[in-house]
Amino acid sequence: MADVTCLDVRRLHADVLDTDAADVALAMDEDAFRAFYDRTSRALWGYLSRTSGDRQVADDLLQECYYRLLKSRVAFESEAHRRNYLYRIATNLVRDARRGTRPLFAEGLDVSDLEAPQGQADVEQRADVRRAMGRLKPRERALLWLAYAQGSSHSEIAGVLGVKTASIKLLLFRARRKLASMLEARS
Amino acid sequence: MSRKDTNVAKDLTDAEIEAIVAESIAAEAAMASAEAQPPSSAIVWWRTQMRARQEAAQLAERPITIVHALSIAAGIGLMLSVIGYAAAGVKGSLAWITGVWESTASLAAGLPLDLTGRWMSLTLTLTLVSVVIASVAAYVIYADE
Repeated sequence: MADVTCLDVRRLHADVLDTDAADVALAMDEDAFRAFYDRTSRALWGYLSRTSGDRQVADDLLQECYYRLLKSRVAFESEAHRRNYLYRIATNLVRDARRGTRPLFAEGLDVSDLEAPQGQADVEQRADVRRAMGRLKPRERALLWLAYAQGSSHSEIAGVLGVKTASIKLLLFRARRKLASMLEARS
Repeated sequence: MSRKDTNVAKDLTDAEIEAIVAESIAAEAAMASAEAQPPSSAIVWWRTQMRARQEAAQLAERPITIVHALSIAAGIGLMLSVIGYAAAGVKGSLAWITGVWESTASLAAGLPLDLTGRWMSLTLTLTLVSVVIASVAAYVIYADE
């Protein structure tokens, strides 16, 4: 039988403590998390950048979203449930950032600083869409993005934004008309 | 929605509006997806673990801080008691102590409890010693953990 030194015992104890801390803190294992992250991170970044109007904010909040998801301790019923919860966290973080010192949502926010693809015929049209999105209210931006970029159902949107499902249809109708009007006015 | 916006959109049907919006946002979503440069999942997982461990360690340190504070308070109390006794020993004589004892006894005579009694003094002393020992023992136990 090999001799076990005091140092070995201390190292083993430290390893056990580290493992316990990680297990207690995080609800998903590494493989599951990485697969989920790879499936959702690009779309989530798009949601964060377009609803906040600031790519730097999206970069900052992206990791915080996943950290809070892992710490949430919610028993998710499905992939969609987990994804909707992630978007709810993102929505709350963007709202908190708006309340902070950084003026993310100044009225008439111009988001044309976002990079546009060079050499494409629809550059101006896309810039117009961004400017129009920037003039929408934060909730309208989130509504439209969830509905048409994410393809979320009314009940999913309601869950993410924390409003009644019955209200979504009307809110979407108004947001659509507002965006279309601004796009039409520019064209 | 402003009056101007309403007027511009009034000629369009809901289906046309929805088509315009859906197309615009879908194109924008494709652009956003192309722009996105999220850190790799391995890096995010590693950072998340580091942060979780750091928070767990900070949480675990809180009880130790409380024990430290209690131990320091007990130590200060013990030190003050020793200083008090030492000062009395240096300054006083046996006659002086006896005088104080008698004065205290006469003052406490009117109280319902006999605080100057032998058993009461013993009980109070034992209680004080137990509190000090318990504080030191708690400190030693939590400090090892």
